[in-house]
Amino acid sequence: MENTIIKLEKINKSYQKGKTSLHILKDIDLQVERGEFVAILGPSGSGKSTLMNIIGCMDVFDTGKYYLNGIDISKQKDKEFTGIRNKEIGFIFQKYHLISTYTVLQNIVMPLLMRGMGFAEATEQCMDTIKMLGLEERLEHKPAELSGGQQQRVAIARALVGEPALLLADEPTGALDTSSGAEVLKLFNRLHNMGHTIVMITHDLEVAKSAKRIVRIIDGELHEDEKG
Amino acid sequence: MKKREILRLVALNLLQNKFKVVLTSVGIIIGAATIVMVIAIGRGGQEKVAEQFKNLNAGAIDISYEEATENKTEDAKMGNGNFGGNQNMPGGKPDSSQKNGTDNKSNQNGKSAMGENGSAPFGFGESARGGNSNDKNRMNQDKIVLSEEDVEDIETFVPDISSVSISYTTKTTVDGGELEEETSYTVAGVTSIYAEISNLNLQVGEFLTKEEEENKEKVCILGATVAKEIFGDAVSAYDSTLYIGGRAYTVNGVLKEIGSVSSGISADDAIFVPYSTGVKYITGENISPTITVIAENLNDLETTIENIETVLAESYPNAEFTITDAGSKMEAASASNDTLTTLLFAMAFIVFIVGGIGIMNVLFVSIKERTKEIGILKAIGCMKQDILLEFLLEACFISVLGGALGVLVSLGITPIVKMANIPVSLSIAGMLTAMVFAFVTGVTFGFYPAWKASCLVPVDALSEE
Ligand SMILES: Nc1ncnc2c1ncn2[C@@H]1O[C@H](COP(=O)(O)OP(=O)(O)OP(=O)(O)O)[C@@H](O)[C@H]1O
Ligand SMILES: [Mg+2]
Repeated sequence: MENTIIKLEKINKSYQKGKTSLHILKDIDLQVERGEFVAILGPSGSGKSTLMNIIGCMDVFDTGKYYLNGIDISKQKDKEFTGIRNKEIGFIFQKYHLISTYTVLQNIVMPLLMRGMGFAEATEQCMDTIKMLGLEERLEHKPAELSGGQQQRVAIARALVGEPALLLADEPTGALDTSSGAEVLKLFNRLHNMGHTIVMITHDLEVAKSAKRIVRIIDGELHEDEKG
Repeated sequence: MKKREILRLVALNLLQNKFKVVLTSVGIIIGAATIVMVIAIGRGGQEKVAEQFKNLNAGAIDISYEEATENKTEDAKMGNGNFGGNQNMPGGKPDSSQKNGTDNKSNQNGKSAMGENGSAPFGFGESARGGNSNDKNRMNQDKIVLSEEDVEDIETFVPDISSVSISYTTKTTVDGGELEEETSYTVAGVTSIYAEISNLNLQVGEFLTKEEEENKEKVCILGATVAKEIFGDAVSAYDSTLYIGGRAYTVNGVLKEIGSVSSGISADDAIFVPYSTGVKYITGENISPTITVIAENLNDLETTIENIETVLAESYPNAEFTITDAGSKMEAASASNDTLTTLLFAMAFIVFIVGGIGIMNVLFVSIKERTKEIGILKAIGCMKQDILLEFLLEACFISVLGGALGVLVSLGITPIVKMANIPVSLSIAGMLTAMVFAFVTGVTFGFYPAWKASCLVPVDALSEE
């Protein structure tokens, strides 16, 4: 088992806009160890989501090296990305990104089904997580019937059930009010204490403070903050 | 992903998107039903034509004279070619009284023209027929009435024919049997050969004979429908007495049901009497008979028709006869039916395109909406082929459902269309075509957008709102 979950070396990413090229990520170096809870903090447009997409294997980068749980990502093909996303990463999005036509339970078990597990087996394996997040009563509901905080808990459950090496959250509290946001952050701390590795992206210093380590991204450059 | 789980998702999505499923299906249902109906109507028409001509002798040539046609500009078939260009054929056609005045002249011109250019097909000329005094009688009649003499002329002078018959129809009141009051029926005066020419068979009894014809006997043969109407059934009709125009006739036979029209007579609905009997007791000389010639050589009906025209022109110069052969009647009917079928197919094609575009739009929009779903599935690690299989199965289900319902709808409309007297003939081939249409459009238009969406990187698919 690798102890370094994320290792980014001189990652560069540009977007081509006509003739001009926008250099979004500039020589990003970042290392995240197993069990760490890191916040990536930066203002709007600084390149947070771009970085998160690269860490989450949802987008490609131009130059540099990226090892995720020991896997050399730059050498992977698109098809393998899918498997890596499923096994290594649990995503938590600002807008929850639940499938609206599925029930809560169906949403939560999806990552396991994709691994070839049957529905009954997957449901059983998810029960602990569901109980931990207090969603037992809500399993047959549709996402639209839940509050924002509850929907985010469903998304977190979905991210957890696959037991990924890394929990990757982009503005997880962005759509929530202060108290639901605080609850999600408390949950993250619990998960951190249980040994999960968490990378959380936010523009809010208060939110970032609940992490044990803060990394600032300003104009596509990464600056290490004080360790918590 | 397990196939069973994919199927579960398909079912879940179909149930969740009921409205969209219905919307998409409606397009497919209408398209499929239209295709089934179009093919059924086309086939129905063809079968109807075939049915009508089933019992028709393809070599039958009908010749009749209708005053109404006299003033029409007629086609070349009518035989004026022999006299073409002479002064007796002015732009305005002569009426019948004028015609009598010019008949002799034109007759001579006609004959000399034939003599000179040798266009008479088998060498008869003035010498062959000049001595026939009947010619003059016939020519000088006020009204042209084809007669048994013309039949003899045709039999004698037209080669390659197997038989010639003459017939006419009239409406006369009939009484007897179970009839409560005098009722008007079609009475046909025919010669003994008519049954053979028209492929008529008898349920009971025998058809009219030559002797009955010669003796002008008061006997008759009933069409199947007539026998049923007047006597209840064929057996009771046989040997009964029927009063036609107030005179008693013995029923000598009843025809089998045939459903077709021959020499302008619908056999099922007619009462047949010997030709001469009818003339003597029912119609008098006021008839418009049809001569039916059976040609032996089906491939050269044109020549036979020309020969008939030449022979008739000897007796009736300037007269224009309506000559139709069964073969070209069939051709005309099936040609017009082919036109109808082509039109229907054009319509089906338009439905195909319009329906296809409608289906495409609904599916495209619904998948556009589901691009985010595809993005989520990809982000959390769903393989492209699993996503594609899921959407493909959904599209297949909608298509097959729509196609099947479309076929059911067409089964439902068929009786209504039949009530409107449109011949329809449903066929397995038509239904299969409709199913194929449903499947192809549904799957193509349902699957293509899904395939496109699944090719997006998850970030782009997710940013789609
Ligand atoms: N697909 C793209 N094509 C071109 N430019 C892009 C694309 N995605 C992002 N950018 C640009 O890259 C820069 C960084 O975008 P990014 O989404 O990473 O910012 P962010 O830090 O997440 O901001 P926010 O806090 O508003 O989400 C922005 O200037 C943006 O315009
Ligand atoms: Mg962002």
